[in-house]
Amino acid sequence: MRKTWAIMRRELLKLGRNPLTIFTSVLLPIIYLIIFGNSFQGVLKHLPVVIVSEDSGPYAIRVMEQMQALAAGPKTIAIVYDTDAGAAIQGVRDGVYKAALIIPPGFSHNIAEGRIGELGLFTDNVDTISAATLTGVLGQATDVIRTSYVTAREPKLNQIVLRPSNLFTTVDYDRSLLPGVIVMAMFMGSLTSGVFNWVMDRFMGITECYLVTPLSRWNLAAGVLGSSVLVTSIASVIVLAVGLLITGGTITGGAPAAAMLVGVIIIGATGILAMTFVLLARANNPRIVGASAGFLNVILYFPSGAVYPVESFPPWLRAFAHYNPETHAVAAIKSILFKGANFAAVSNDLAFLVIFSSIMLVIASMTVKRTL
Amino acid sequence: MESHSAAIQARELTKTFGTFTAVDHVTFEVQRGELFGLLGPNGAGKTTLSRMLTTLITPTSGQGLVAGLDVAREPVRVREAIGVIPQALTSDLDLTGWENVDLYGGYYNLSRRTRRERAEHLIHMVGLTERANDLVQTYSGGMRRRLEIARGLIHSPQVLFLDEPTIGLDPQSRRAVWELLQQLRKDTGLTVSLTTHYMDEAETLCDRIAIVDGGKIIAIGSPAELKAMVEGSDRIELEVQGDNEMVIAMLRRQPGVHEVARDPDGPIIVTVDDGAHAMPKIIGEIENAGATVSSIKLERMSLEDVFIRFTGRRLRDEPARKGGFFSSSFGMPVPPGR
Repeated sequence: MRKTWAIMRRELLKLGRNPLTIFTSVLLPIIYLIIFGNSFQGVLKHLPVVIVSEDSGPYAIRVMEQMQALAAGPKTIAIVYDTDAGAAIQGVRDGVYKAALIIPPGFSHNIAEGRIGELGLFTDNVDTISAATLTGVLGQATDVIRTSYVTAREPKLNQIVLRPSNLFTTVDYDRSLLPGVIVMAMFMGSLTSGVFNWVMDRFMGITECYLVTPLSRWNLAAGVLGSSVLVTSIASVIVLAVGLLITGGTITGGAPAAAMLVGVIIIGATGILAMTFVLLARANNPRIVGASAGFLNVILYFPSGAVYPVESFPPWLRAFAHYNPETHAVAAIKSILFKGANFAAVSNDLAFLVIFSSIMLVIASMTVKRTL
Repeated sequence: MESHSAAIQARELTKTFGTFTAVDHVTFEVQRGELFGLLGPNGAGKTTLSRMLTTLITPTSGQGLVAGLDVAREPVRVREAIGVIPQALTSDLDLTGWENVDLYGGYYNLSRRTRRERAEHLIHMVGLTERANDLVQTYSGGMRRRLEIARGLIHSPQVLFLDEPTIGLDPQSRRAVWELLQQLRKDTGLTVSLTTHYMDEAETLCDRIAIVDGGKIIAIGSPAELKAMVEGSDRIELEVQGDNEMVIAMLRRQPGVHEVARDPDGPIIVTVDDGAHAMPKIIGEIENAGATVSSIKLERMSLEDVFIRFTGRRLRDEPARKGGFFSSSFGMPVPPGR
């Protein structure tokens, strides 16, 4: 135990003397939270749309009213009016507008005569997200024109009314990113405090002075992994606390849920750390670890359900996500943080993390060579 | 001949990396209390030999015993019995000198009290008491090396292995490390195995030296014994007023003289076994022959000369071996340049 503690103490002292290395593990996820939480707002807003109305009939006026409602209410679009359809379409081509809505002459007349009333929507379909959103919301707005005015109090008997009810407290988009950034902190901390230091020691020849001592491979593995789990867990809890402050939320479920969150963070950090050891501990140059960090972050983070539901992935990516430890860490943290889930509700994810961490710890310990 | 008092025994010790033989059936013995040098150029095999004896590399064949323990069969007990100062400076720059030594004591399972007592003594011994609480990143190379020697002694080892302990140090720091090692031996009688490619270092510090080249020990003995193995170990340069040709012919007939040569218009160069004793006799013979010695200079044979005689070349640096991308990136075995 004294030997393992000596290794742990060395790692902790070194990290304590270089707090900047751990600070980056805290700072990057928080910056990610701030930038992504504010740049991707979940619902798109203020998309510039140019409207050219070449019809002055009642249905054209209804369309204009619907567009103005979209601009005033959810602020999905920002309207610019024009009289020249060609110039409006060119404006879309030039990137000035995301779409041009053309109300052609005779639009109202056609509808009144019972014919199809066609509207022209020219979208900047290179920007697929904006184009899809505009096609959807403008389509809904124009659909309304064809139906009679209906109030919520007086539904027609033959109309289906959907009444949405939230089971959980509303989670804003930026707050929904929080489980992901906590897991990102776990990943960053694992790399900077664990495997990077290990490979750097080998690169500098310092490993040689361990290997000539009676330290066993288990002493070495337990000391390095133990100190790294401790530091990574602290960094992740800091990210959780700062993230809650930034997004203005609390932990649904109070103190018991907070304790469970810390437990998930420790188990998850152990698994991710051990996995990075398995993958990178034999590298001879710390640059290999640095170069692999971005690559691993992308392939673990994005398929984890942190930003997009796993269920919507194609089958092959869903299969990968199923075995991705970050998927289960995100799911468990999300459940505890936002849903106030009890132990039973997250037991499957926890079970996966415990088994995964145990297997990875054994393999990671075996990667520690006792000779050069 | 096997000795039970031997601190280090190598018997036909061999290490190969693929088709490359880094150490080739090496046999030698180091007695307790001896300061033994492994001398040879870079790439000679001395570091690989030392690494096998310190359990860092498993021998391909043969046997290595340190403190009577087999390095392949009882590596943990060997590690408890040895102290190792690797070639690279391995002290942690982010820790203080004291922390470096104290933590190292933890690796040997020493109690806090023992660590404190030993660290205090050793840091004082290496002259770093005043700087013990400073970060090692503020130390000079020589100070780091002295600290690492203290660190390597924290558990009172029976045998201390030093691999190129003064490489990269300035002359003053080298001298300080030499003095430290000499003092250490005087005070503790510790057995020391020193790997070096510096002739002067080996000659100054070592009781016995093994000259290593091409993975083999090509000569072994004390510095004096090694020099005595080479005929004509000293050179006497003479400038003579009188008949030089007659003097050269006379000198060639003298006992103990191996060779007499003369560069055109240069001094006469006489190669003898024991220059200090031969010089007065030579001066006397020249004067008896009617000539006068106007200048005389004795050049003793250095270990460099011994090395050249045994290997046919000077100590030289081997070119660095290159590994492939995967082998160099992921620790696949590459011949370490012996």
